[in-house]
Amino acid sequence: MTFRLTCPVCGKRDVYEFTFGGQERGPRPEQEGLSAEEHFRWTQFRLIPNEPQEEWWYHGQGCGVWFKAKRDPGTNREMR
Amino acid sequence: MTGYAGDTVASALYGAGVRIFGRSLKYHRPRGLYSMEGESANTFMSIDGVPNECAETTELRAGMAVAPQNVHGDPRSDRFGFLSAFDRLMPAGFYYHLFHRPQFLWPVFQSGLRRMAGTGVLDPLREYGGGVRSERYLNADVAVVGGGSAGMAAALAAGESGLRVCLFERRDRLGGHLAWRVRELEGEPLYRRAEALAAQVQAAENVKVFTSSPAIGVWGENLVTGFTVGTEDDPFRECHWECRARTVVIAAGCMDRPLVFNHNDRPGVMQVGTAWRLARSYGVRPGKSVAFSVADDLGLEAAIDLDDLGVRVRFIADARESGQQGAAVFEALCDRAIPLFPGCAVSRAVGRKRVRGCVLRSLKGGRSRRFRCDLLVANAGMQPRIGTLATANARFEYCTHTHGYQPTDLPPGVFVAGSMTGLRDPRSIEASGRVAGYGAAERCGGRPGNVARAGNRVMGEGQSGSPGRGSVSPSRASRAVEAARQEAKALPGPPPGCGVIHAPAIGRGAKAFVDLDEDGTYKNVKESIARGLDVPELAKRFAGFGLGPGQYRVAGQNLAMIMADLRGDPVEKARATTVRPPLAAPSIATLAGPGHDVHKRTPLHAEQAARGAVFRRAGPWQRARHFGDDPSCRDEILSVRTNVGVLDSSPLGKFRIHGPDALQALQRVYISDMSKARPGYCKYSAMCNDMGQLMDDGVVVIEGRNDYYFTTSSARAGATVEWFRFHTRHDGWDYNLVNLTDVLGSLNIAGPNARRVLERLTGDNVSNEAFPYLACRRITVGDGVEARCLRLGFVGELSFELHAPASCVPYLWDLVMEAGADFGIRPFGLEAQNCLRAEKGHVIIGTESEQRVTLTDIGMGWMWDREDTVSKKVGAPALRACVGQTGRLKLVGLRVEEGAKAPLDGTLVVDGDKIVGYVCTTRSSETLGWQYGLALVHKEHAFPGRRIHLCHEETPGERVTSTAFVMSPHFYDPRGQRLRR
Repeated sequence: MTFRLTCPVCGKRDVYEFTFGGQERGPRPEQEGLSAEEHFRWTQFRLIPNEPQEEWWYHGQGCGVWFKAKRDPGTNREMR
Repeated sequence: MTGYAGDTVASALYGAGVRIFGRSLKYHRPRGLYSMEGESANTFMSIDGVPNECAETTELRAGMAVAPQNVHGDPRSDRFGFLSAFDRLMPAGFYYHLFHRPQFLWPVFQSGLRRMAGTGVLDPLREYGGGVRSERYLNADVAVVGGGSAGMAAALAAGESGLRVCLFERRDRLGGHLAWRVRELEGEPLYRRAEALAAQVQAAENVKVFTSSPAIGVWGENLVTGFTVGTEDDPFRECHWECRARTVVIAAGCMDRPLVFNHNDRPGVMQVGTAWRLARSYGVRPGKSVAFSVADDLGLEAAIDLDDLGVRVRFIADARESGQQGAAVFEALCDRAIPLFPGCAVSRAVGRKRVRGCVLRSLKGGRSRRFRCDLLVANAGMQPRIGTLATANARFEYCTHTHGYQPTDLPPGVFVAGSMTGLRDPRSIEASGRVAGYGAAERCGGRPGNVARAGNRVMGEGQSGSPGRGSVSPSRASRAVEAARQEAKALPGPPPGCGVIHAPAIGRGAKAFVDLDEDGTYKNVKESIARGLDVPELAKRFAGFGLGPGQYRVAGQNLAMIMADLRGDPVEKARATTVRPPLAAPSIATLAGPGHDVHKRTPLHAEQAARGAVFRRAGPWQRARHFGDDPSCRDEILSVRTNVGVLDSSPLGKFRIHGPDALQALQRVYISDMSKARPGYCKYSAMCNDMGQLMDDGVVVIEGRNDYYFTTSSARAGATVEWFRFHTRHDGWDYNLVNLTDVLGSLNIAGPNARRVLERLTGDNVSNEAFPYLACRRITVGDGVEARCLRLGFVGELSFELHAPASCVPYLWDLVMEAGADFGIRPFGLEAQNCLRAEKGHVIIGTESEQRVTLTDIGMGWMWDREDTVSKKVGAPALRACVGQTGRLKLVGLRVEEGAKAPLDGTLVVDGDKIVGYVCTTRSSETLGWQYGLALVHKEHAFPGRRIHLCHEETPGERVTSTAFVMSPHFYDPRGQRLRR
């Protein structure tokens, strides 16, 4: 498995330089009145879509930025 | 045995008269040289003690030790040769359904089977993989796989516009199958044409040529990987490379499709290319009298050429009825008096240990005729080498015109050229390469047809530049491509291929092999279908066709065609099995890489080494484990407890965070209320993850307005920036985070005499009143080095941590050593620190914490600011969810009963037969005078005074239990008085 991602700072780089940060699942939920189930749903549950999804990636071996990329996990292609 | 420069092990052995190269996997049938490129595993040998080396592709070197494999006795008279007669006991997939009952006998059968079958044998005591294994990361605009005429033409065409081109060729020289063909075309022998192209490619500045470099596969977004086998002059033995290409041209060529006939595995049966190359490339006479059973024009050309070389060709059977090259060929055959039998094929090889003759039959059946010969060159035409394309995720369909698999859709940026598209005319093959090369260049934004200025681009290994390389005039670009396309179109297209599935009169009590490597016969295919495993993918698993080294190669297309035929399907429904990489196998050592030990040294490395430090790897660092040769560190520990010691704590994570939202960010990741940090004092806190598990601990110090300095554990230093930014990624907060870990060094002066040592270094007041416990001040040390001084107590004694620029730390070390000399100061290492902190009950993350325990479970819940729901602290909801939960593990201290067997780190805590926890760290303490331990045990056992049982199992099944008592983990100075003196 290999593909490339476009870092907003550094441009197109090999995926080896990045760390995966999971799907975009919205901001951290408000904690006032947050039930355990809601919390664990937000932290643990993942959808496994076979269609393009928004993801977080960290350019750890580069500029150190977290960015959102749209990628199709079925083909590993990045959508622009 | 001797050979010539350029010989492979196989060609040298053949030249020396060796005809039997090994024994087959299952039946131990004698096997000879069938292929020349490792297509079959017949010639896998043990070379210099390394098993499964392919003799066909291994270059001959002086002093090599070559031994056959899977041979019991001599390959010419193998002890298990009789097995072939017992094939009825070994139907397809027999190991899946025979011998398994009664179950207790299976191990006996298994070891017997293992001994009789299989390939090479590894010596468990030997270290394999010597020599230099290097790696290269290439970037190219166009990568070309295959250095035949199509590949070379593609590389040249793509290179014309100045693009960076990498050309990878499996063999040790360029030229493909033109390299040994003497047929003249336009007044020039084909091999000359190959040489001319090779010279042009070698001369092109922006085309980098890699020979002896098979590809392993083509991966996502055109990453071509493979390896180069070093020659004796290369600085490496094997070099693994990865080429990130913008486009890929695949011109992998063709290989023989084996003709499946009775006893088609006998030594002396070989591919057209094998016989031809033996004669032309290696100067070895393949045989005296040869029969040809072929199905394409290349076979006829080979027969004519071999006849000219003095090998007597008995006859040529051509499985095609018509479609031969035409009058010229028939004339050539007439001149040489070689009989040609169209529509016929060899149906049986005669002879056991080598071919002595063959039986010829019409494909329509009928009478047969027997011939004498000592070499049988047989194929059913050519099949494209689709492996490279398959790894690139191309889809294939069976083409009823060329009778081979053709790609139906190519992945973006992948182009195909050469004989694998079914072309046979050398001019068409070259032209197809040119079209593909121009296409690839055009996709890269190059200007095909525009000869580049010299030195326009230089090959390098940097990341390829930004996409879109200047402006391209599309009309001009496509004009050159269009011209090349028109030229290719005017040349002959793919001739019809041969669709013969197998030879006539197949089976009938004799073995006809579909797969030589796994001893898979035609009968096995039938058995597989009879058992319901009636598609190639299932038969592959069940009976082993095309498994192991033979991925797709020998069995691939034939298996699909035979299965379609046996099921009564039309041949175009034949589905080939998936090709599994690697297409060529590098050694594991090569994939593992050169094994560089890349590590960091602290600024005090030399100083510690001079004092006898024993270094160990800790994360990215080399750290002093202990000093001198006492791994128990007794003196180092005592010196800290009773006097003074000094520790190099430079790997400690050190950060600065500043900006208007710095405090918000700290509040998010730290579990305590960080707004309560007091100026001039350290605020100790911890970070959790979303599961409430302890991730990191350290102190935070206010530096100024919206400006903080904080430390992390050494292990987390590398992940801290990522962690902060991840957990604030949605908030758009304005803060800056700077990693100072490597910029600042630090050393920790610890022990009752620590203050007295420090007083000698600085004029600042470091008395208990002016500089109390947990204070953090800037002090001036020695000749004006300004250092942050933190009064902490990880090891449980009075201690001062000095943080100063890394370049100044060696100077500080010398000062400390000098000032401490009167007290007898000793440096201490990680092991002493580990014992000291454990006696104090301070946890190390990952040692006393793990996935199942939260912050509160390990007794650090007091840090958690339970009221805060506004800053959305990471881990707080999980901690809340765990409040009052039963069945959790808790961190406790243990006192091991006097005289009982001492536990080890990891020893289990048991309650009867139930495991109720384990010991995390345990030592015999000089300070305490008894064996203590930190353990995680189930809550119901975690109260002081509880008697628990430790289970020791040094040899399996032999258990000893000992007793220990639960107590507070703060064994030493539980009220922390020593820290505050």
